[in-house]
Amino acid sequence: MREKWTGELTVEQCCNRAAATRAYARYPLKLVLPSKVACSGIDAVWVYLVTYGGGIVSGDSISCKVSVGDHCTLVLTTQSSTKIYKAVQGKFSEQVFKALVAKDALLVMMPDPVTCFAAAKYKQVQHFFLSLDANLVLVDWFTSGRRERGEVWAFESFRSTNNVYLDGNPVFLDTMNLEQDVSLPISSRLQDFHSVAMLVIYGPRLSSIRKRIEERVGSQCEEAVRKKKHRSSTHGRLLCSFSSFGPSDAGLVVRVAAVETELIYDFLKQELAELSDLIGAPPYYGK
Amino acid sequence: MKLSRPSVTQCTGLAFRMDLPAKKSQGSDWVVWQLVDSFFPTGGFAHSYGLEAAVQAGLVSDSKSLDTFIKSTLENSGSLLLPFVSASFKLPDVAGWIELDRLLNATLSNHVARRASSSQGSALLRTAATVYPDLAELGELRGVVRAGRASGHHAGVFGIVCGLLKLDALTCQRAYLYLTLRDVLSAATRLNLVGPLQAAAMQQSLRGFGEAVVRKCADRGVEDACQVSPLLDTAQACHDHLFSRLFCS
Repeated sequence: MREKWTGELTVEQCCNRAAATRAYARYPLKLVLPSKVACSGIDAVWVYLVTYGGGIVSGDSISCKVSVGDHCTLVLTTQSSTKIYKAVQGKFSEQVFKALVAKDALLVMMPDPVTCFAAAKYKQVQHFFLSLDANLVLVDWFTSGRRERGEVWAFESFRSTNNVYLDGNPVFLDTMNLEQDVSLPISSRLQDFHSVAMLVIYGPRLSSIRKRIEERVGSQCEEAVRKKKHRSSTHGRLLCSFSSFGPSDAGLVVRVAAVETELIYDFLKQELAELSDLIGAPPYYGK
Repeated sequence: MKLSRPSVTQCTGLAFRMDLPAKKSQGSDWVVWQLVDSFFPTGGFAHSYGLEAAVQAGLVSDSKSLDTFIKSTLENSGSLLLPFVSASFKLPDVAGWIELDRLLNATLSNHVARRASSSQGSALLRTAATVYPDLAELGELRGVVRAGRASGHHAGVFGIVCGLLKLDALTCQRAYLYLTLRDVLSAATRLNLVGPLQAAAMQQSLRGFGEAVVRKCADRGVEDACQVSPLLDTAQACHDHLFSRLFCS
């Protein structure tokens, strides 16, 4: 149990509209709540999670607790990619996130990717507690590093945990851990790919979006494994697939890896385009 | 003429400790050998651990990338599944096993890996229950899986079987990694990536890596279970979209 969170956010229905009734943040976290992101007619609260310096230094821990009330829609995003600076004295940079998503509520968490600098050590733990008919869109992704400086898969450690609980029961427990190892360096595991993303979709309000994502990702996946073009060039290369999870296979997890970060931005914009009807603006617009 | 039978001590020149049950001193080696023998019918050879999909996705195309694939798969087995082997080994009771199986089901978010795991686990459970009918718990577990109260995931079944057979905990975990290596190399041979002699040589050359994975991952808690190869995980979930398939996963 955490004693003190660096950020706390509560969104509830107020006068028939969703509103942030609590938005607390202390250094190094800042919450920015612009009022005019969602177009009129769409009831959604948008919050930007901003860190001072655009990143997390070694030894810092950012923790955020979010509560999305009944029938509310909350979008959490970032201004740009989160930079993780090199580890000093072996200390990790850390993010902890806990969200409670109530009845018929929708939480869309669509940040920019995490970029670890050379010798960085990063771990993040994100727990999502959903009520039985709550809805969740979660994007979690990272890049190979500061490519322009020649830093490619040069961080020391990257660990990301995303756990989803439905009515208190664990339905999705995913931890991905990349650690440098002389006998199996991270770069050998990622080959020519420079960006990796995971997209989780859960909830009744998202069923038609989910169905179309499955169709498109399925045919892209088929193309990737059936065509021989990847053998001659890596240009534009993107590999994706999906799996169902949870009771009655109600959840969907999509995994993507691409040779360029831009390709995943394009992928997410395309797959999540229909979400703009629920959140009031196209995801990753302008990115 | 009745021949007097020489005593065991006379034959072997060893003095057997009379207080050790025969099973422990002689039988436990046979138990382990049988568990890791390809002859033991558990259906491991229907699964390629994602190798078939990785080849068709262009991620494995030569001996170097195959070597990386196998090492990643061993590392993944150790990081993701060994904690569940270890936990179910230590907790050989049905209620605890059902809970672990539920956690493992939620951890296996890749549906192809999940399907392979419950299929192999059920096959192992069926074979073990037949071979060791005196272990009543195995019959009980089979009933639980048949009733849909558990998936019967392989790592959890392997652990509890070893625990009920009173094998050594470290041996159990090493055997689990050995099985992973055995099955991946078998798949590589059947996919024509290596010949059987080369596969046998690789099995030997990867032994040190496998042992290092066990040393690193042995006895970790299930809350620390993690996957270590996102690229291979992505490719494995493509398995159902392959045009022609030799393997189930």
